[in-house]
Amino acid sequence: MQYGRFLLRRVFHSLFVIWGAATVVFLLRFITPGDPVTALAPPDAGDEVRAALERRLGLDDPIHVQYFEYITDLMVGDFGNSMEVLDRSVLDWIFWTRFLRSLELAISATILAIVIAIPLGVVSARRRHTPADYSATLFSLGGISTPNFWLGLMLILLIAVPVGFIPTGTPGPLLHEAVGDLFAGDPGTLGDWLRFMFLPALTLGTYFTALITRLTRSGMLEEIGKAYVKACRAKGLPETLTMYRHVLRNTLIPIVTILGLQLGTLIGGAIITETVFEWNGLGQLLIERINARDWTMIQGIVIIIAIGFVTINTVVDLLYAYLDPRVMEE
Amino acid sequence: MGEPILRVEDLTTRFFTEEGQINAVEGVSFDVEPGEVFGIVGESGSGKSVTALSLVDLVESPGRITNGSVWFREPALAARIREDDPDTAAADGEMVDLRRLDDNERRALRGTEFAMIFQDPMSSFNPSITVGTQIAEAVEVQRRATANPRAVRSRTQGFGLLKFLTTSMVPTVDYVSEESRDRAVELLDTVGIPDPASRATEYPHQFSGGMLQRAMIAQALATEPSVLVADEPTTALDVTIQAQILNTLGDLQAEYGMTTVLITHNLGVIARMCDRVGVMYAGEFVERGSLEDLFERPSHPYTEGLLGSSPALDNGDRRLQPIAGNVPSLLDEEMPDRCYFADRCPKAMSECLDKPPEFDADGSEGHRARCYLARDAYDPGDALPEGYFDES
Repeated sequence: MQYGRFLLRRVFHSLFVIWGAATVVFLLRFITPGDPVTALAPPDAGDEVRAALERRLGLDDPIHVQYFEYITDLMVGDFGNSMEVLDRSVLDWIFWTRFLRSLELAISATILAIVIAIPLGVVSARRRHTPADYSATLFSLGGISTPNFWLGLMLILLIAVPVGFIPTGTPGPLLHEAVGDLFAGDPGTLGDWLRFMFLPALTLGTYFTALITRLTRSGMLEEIGKAYVKACRAKGLPETLTMYRHVLRNTLIPIVTILGLQLGTLIGGAIITETVFEWNGLGQLLIERINARDWTMIQGIVIIIAIGFVTINTVVDLLYAYLDPRVMEE
Repeated sequence: MGEPILRVEDLTTRFFTEEGQINAVEGVSFDVEPGEVFGIVGESGSGKSVTALSLVDLVESPGRITNGSVWFREPALAARIREDDPDTAAADGEMVDLRRLDDNERRALRGTEFAMIFQDPMSSFNPSITVGTQIAEAVEVQRRATANPRAVRSRTQGFGLLKFLTTSMVPTVDYVSEESRDRAVELLDTVGIPDPASRATEYPHQFSGGMLQRAMIAQALATEPSVLVADEPTTALDVTIQAQILNTLGDLQAEYGMTTVLITHNLGVIARMCDRVGVMYAGEFVERGSLEDLFERPSHPYTEGLLGSSPALDNGDRRLQPIAGNVPSLLDEEMPDRCYFADRCPKAMSECLDKPPEFDADGSEGHRARCYLARDAYDPGDALPEGYFDES
């Protein structure tokens, strides 16, 4: 019940954020150079053709009419059609291929990071000033300072090329297709999905892994110094239980925040990794559509990213409230 | 004197910091008899808290107990140790030396025989777990220890690896049983918390300081300890609350017959609670004895100074007489080879430039003082000239 009210409030806030993003990207069209008609019309088109195109795209109305239509359409989930490929629905184009692909990559990278980073950070903090700690610190320093494009290229060069069965340069199947095939009795697609996903997720996740390792280590060290840890030991709680149930749990609070923010940026912003691996994700699509002045698509992508961002943040806030009960009181 | 339950011999704890070696506790020895309240009093930085932590082996890096033993009477354990190794140095009669036990044995004792109350209740509870659960954890530890003593001494304390992993990783799978939770509510009731069932589901930040200190006492009782170490249990509380907490502590101590080691800087608390007292200064016991010995016949000028600097109602027109100077540095290289108190002592003599051993003093059998005045009367003719320590 408590969580329900909390969630409701967050969803209400989120709607405002999405509306804001939608408005800003709409207004952006009027202050950026280049327009869809010029991009679409043949170079030798006369005024008549241009006027017809403008009418067809709905750009001849006054701004406030356009804005009103745009927002009311959005409210019923109608993102319109692309301004370049006129009969192609924006939502279909973005969501069912590009968005899912980026989301899968972002989530895989995050999971990879969590699975590696948190145990590494815990070990590093508990065995401070031992070779294990020094190696973990060295790794995280390296991970933070390695640029993605270089790491991606090196992984292709040093792993994908010699090993052979790890493909690069083409996008693989989507997870929902793979799972569908699995239930239909063909596990091969899932194997393909894993093969295709491995290197991009590793590339995208390395910085993230390094960051969380450091955060976990320093957070744990800070928590271990607190008086309640001594109290746990005094009551005879096993050390491992003290570490995981008390210390790590409190360390997770700041980590969850960073995780959420980072995952949000990864969805729309993994352009470099997507380019290196020809991943055909949302970031790449955005750049391509901006070059084509395809404004309905640009609007759609920005709004989808905004929705993804606020959803993740809401989930983070809920987790946060679960981890630290004091949050709920405010 | 009866058989002591706790016998501390020559306990020495040092901190190895970057500034140098700090001698926080230096050769401390004392006995505690079953059921009594033994007080340790001293100024801030005299090493009394570190002594408390050394007793329960909770001294943390860079600190380390470097010498001495803590003998604890536990006949069953002593017999078992001797069975495993007849020539062991860790058992002596019915006593076992906590310092020579292996880590798991020692940790197992911490949950079951020793409990500790800390100074600041607000920071001694985990802020994100309910008070009831935290107390129930202590009950659970005790429960597992009595159900299966051998397993508790293993690394995972009778959890089984699989159960241990699932309870550690999945927060909804709880390793604290319902019975332990019920017991935690009972304990909260025992220490005088109203409406214990609903308070148990609250978080530490929803408690007041006094209530939380009560909860901490409940947590300490959960383990049904033989020895309770209370490190400044009332220092962080309001005066009115202090009195309540001391009453609760006194009642429970009498009811459960717990042996208590009470650390405080407050002589009023000592006078009210303790049977015997040790006075700490610069990491050493400068005087120890019964309550009467210390309050009626103090032998060490430092004890006299402490008494003189605390207010009392019956001589209201008397001015308080603070001890001049500051607590000395405990840094090894700065510690002189003389009586550590000599530079602040109003009765310092040339003899005091040699470090005094412990002397028997007048009064009860166990009254001892680390001062030549316990042996000889003060001779003003032998006094060190005023300002002697200023130049050096």
